Amino acid sequence: MTMTHLDGPDLEALGALTRDYAAFQARKSGLATALGGLMAVLFLTAPMYVDALGTRLMGRYLLEYLLLAPFGWLALKPLLGRVLYRDLGEVKAIPDAAYERQRWFWILGIALFIGVFLILCILGFASGFLHAIPAGACVTMPSLGALWLPLLYLAPMPWMLRGIEEARAYAVLVGECMLWFLASFLAFWSARPYGRPSMETASTIVQIILVLLLLAILIWSALAMVRGWKEHREYLAILRALPQEP
Amino acid sequence: MNKNGTSPKAILDLDRMVHEPARLAILTVLASAEEVAFLFLQRVTGLSKGNLSSHTQKLEAAGYLETIKAFQGRIPVTSFRITEDGRAALRAYHQQLRALLPKEGKP
Repeated sequence: MTMTHLDGPDLEALGALTRDYAAFQARKSGLATALGGLMAVLFLTAPMYVDALGTRLMGRYLLEYLLLAPFGWLALKPLLGRVLYRDLGEVKAIPDAAYERQRWFWILGIALFIGVFLILCILGFASGFLHAIPAGACVTMPSLGALWLPLLYLAPMPWMLRGIEEARAYAVLVGECMLWFLASFLAFWSARPYGRPSMETASTIVQIILVLLLLAILIWSALAMVRGWKEHREYLAILRALPQEP
Repeated sequence: MNKNGTSPKAILDLDRMVHEPARLAILTVLASAEEVAFLFLQRVTGLSKGNLSSHTQKLEAAGYLETIKAFQGRIPVTSFRITEDGRAALRAYHQQLRALLPKEGKP
């Protein structure tokens, strides 16, 4: 987004200011992106914390709630937009074909990723490589039945992901859910002598892949928080550039 | 004919509906977006509510913009959209003005 300052009757600046504001309004993704990054970090670290695995909330394990994180973020996003970014009324941006194409590229990319993941899971279960409730498991979720959940991740995407930044945030949150699904199917939640469950992975290669993916998510999360905050500051700058009310 | 090759009378041919500064600002804002809420238009142009209403009514009568009235919940929201005629008039005005103004570096 380009930044402009309105000094006097500068028509060029007036047009640019409107375009910037409209672009921001279309996506309203400043703080939502930062929130996505924060949620991704929490989502990444919470299940790794041994005590958290054993934590139960209303009879269910914490991980079961964490798998609903993408929906939580989708619900918080418009709420943030309504509270923070609608104070000057709505301005609809002129449709940008290139941007729309990129947005759909991300949406279809996430859909493809989930589709491939589900097919691989079904093949994994069919071959006996994956186990819905592995031997010695003391956490029942996610089970084979939870595989319908990724399909629900797909449903709101075309309507609720208006910007590329937020599509990235959603992709990471959904990707994390997939990682935890996979880790749970590959491994088993075994009870430690002191009654705390721990996750044991199937092989070293899988462990390395998981660690690399988790590191990538961690880096993206940090960048998303910075980018989201920067975009929010840019929005505030747009507001400052507007003529003061008489 | 002047040095730019335009007739001095050309200045009289400027579209006065567009030439008025407030209306020029309104059309410029509307041309930069698909649809603009009254509130934003008021804030960005710095016009009072009454002034903005008066100018938008004139522009609507000229066929340069259309008014969209909707409800957000129970709150009425007024938005504006530039028409094709409005866009063409703004473009033509810019071209006319550019032709009338002295070229860069010339007095």
